[in-house]
Amino acid sequence: MSKIAVKVDDLTVAYNYKPVLWDIDLEIPEGVLMAIVGPNGAGKSTLIKSILGILKPIAGSVTIYGKPYNKQRQLVAYVPQKGSVDWDFPTTALDVVMMGTYGSLGWIKRPRQKEKKAALEALEKVGMLAFKGRQISQLSGGQQQRIFLARALVQNASIYFMDEPFQGVDATTEIAIINILKELRKAGKTVIVVHHDLQTVPEYFDWVTFLNVKKIATGPVKDIFNDDNLTKTYGINFKVSVQE
Amino acid sequence: MNSAQIEIQLIASLVAIACAIPGTFLVLRKMAMISDAISHSILPGIVIGFFITQDLNSPLLILFAAFTGIITVILVEYIQKTGLVKEDTAIGLVFPALFSIGVILIAKNANDVHLDVDAVLLGELAFAPFDRLLISGVDVGPKALWIIGVILLITVTLLIAFFKELKVSTFDAGLAASLGFSPAIIHYGLMSVASVTTVGAFDAVGAILVVALMIAPAAAAYLLTTDLKKMLGLAITFGVMSAISGYWFAHWLDASIAGSITTMLGLLFLMVYLFAPSKGVIAVMYREKQQRIEVSLLTFLLHLKNHNELEERHVNHLREHINWQKVRAKTVLELALKNNMIVVDKNIVSLTEKGDTFTSKAIDYIITNEDTQIEDMKDDFFLFRG
Repeated sequence: MSKIAVKVDDLTVAYNYKPVLWDIDLEIPEGVLMAIVGPNGAGKSTLIKSILGILKPIAGSVTIYGKPYNKQRQLVAYVPQKGSVDWDFPTTALDVVMMGTYGSLGWIKRPRQKEKKAALEALEKVGMLAFKGRQISQLSGGQQQRIFLARALVQNASIYFMDEPFQGVDATTEIAIINILKELRKAGKTVIVVHHDLQTVPEYFDWVTFLNVKKIATGPVKDIFNDDNLTKTYGINFKVSVQE
Repeated sequence: MNSAQIEIQLIASLVAIACAIPGTFLVLRKMAMISDAISHSILPGIVIGFFITQDLNSPLLILFAAFTGIITVILVEYIQKTGLVKEDTAIGLVFPALFSIGVILIAKNANDVHLDVDAVLLGELAFAPFDRLLISGVDVGPKALWIIGVILLITVTLLIAFFKELKVSTFDAGLAASLGFSPAIIHYGLMSVASVTTVGAFDAVGAILVVALMIAPAAAAYLLTTDLKKMLGLAITFGVMSAISGYWFAHWLDASIAGSITTMLGLLFLMVYLFAPSKGVIAVMYREKQQRIEVSLLTFLLHLKNHNELEERHVNHLREHINWQKVRAKTVLELALKNNMIVVDKNIVSLTEKGDTFTSKAIDYIITNEDTQIEDMKDDFFLFRG
């Protein structure tokens, strides 16, 4: 079996002493395109934020390629949920993508031509080069999501975390985004996506984690994406036809 | 102008610049009210600092006051984090408490202390030139000028050094955290700068004007640009403009300088609010009116395109058919005629070739939402812009 990219041990996270994640053990192998599925309030975003060190767990630990997150920041890129930023902020599409380069620059050093060039290339990859000068609130929902994806691409990471990247985007954008994610996997990157549309799981992903406060199951889609696990996760009877 | 007048304007301008920089970020972080809280709650810091040093111009006073400013922010956040009250309520709870401690401390010791509440609230810029800084007996200028000058220098240095970090943590704290720029450090850094600036400006312009100088220029600049650097530049320009025009307004009226500068800030914001080219009230109203007309025009053209029957295209019939009032029908008809999109022959309306292509393109755009084919139409029609 390949290397473990992300390892979560006994992770428990609570808001106001109410656990939203309970004793999670999880190993994500390198090079998978993984969906995290589960009902609202299952702790999907919380899991990602805890792995990224944005939230402090009350117990447990997370390692990225065997080391704590703050030692491995350069290896990780994160696309937050769309609602988490201020869309009226005075900044352009290009500027937002450039922010992806800030991590490798570190404190104080400023982005230069090299970073700008990388940002422009990422914009081109997501088909948004024509909009580079637009203020971000003047972009449609799908375009905003592509900008976020470009910002993650420019980080040139090994592991990508995306929190509901398909939220509020149309079918064309969804396909464009998933194609880029599949390309990332082909390049040997690990991609972890919080996902809501169960119908598309077998088509888009090769690995899946079922989560509902506790971890229900994790593994290859073809082995574990079945009615049994869906019922355990969502609590009602499910029939999802798995495509061959 | 005599030298005192120049000095007052110089102090006012430096204060305006020093306030506009943190102010811009406070506005973007939707934390305008925190500047109000800081400006009031630094009072006990100043008073306690004064009791210890017995010198109103000691740099220790600034440190004490900045420290209480930070305490304000921490207290507000602590109360807010309990989840029992909202942020604005927490602000409303914290700063009056701290401010009143300052007021009581002054009142209890008012007899032998040269520090009164009026001066704290409104400042007295007019007296600033009388308080000179002497270095080994040589007069190097008003103390207030030096204090605010040093604060401004520090602020600008920090701004240049940490511009990128400030930008990313203000725009997207989650990303900043995942990139390793602790949003908490930047947050408290900004709050410290805001506190120190407030204290430095406090002496010259008082607690109320400090808030105006932080918020009004940034709020006006926000309406004019979509670029953070330009927003900072505009905020600084607006601040300086108000400082200087306010001084002369006060000179002319023989009134309080602080009050006049605040009045100018208010007027300036009002002007921008009304007349800003794309976000201003008038521009928005005009654009909405245009859009209504254009949607009507498009509806009208589409109706013509869909109906070949003569009775459907009769001028009188159109009115009842699309259910428009007379005035609206007339405006739309005239607009279509003016743009050569229709011809009217014996009261029968028909699409011209231009009108026909326009309608197809517009419908196509609305359905597919693809920008490329309508680039040439964008100049004429609001509907297709942004």
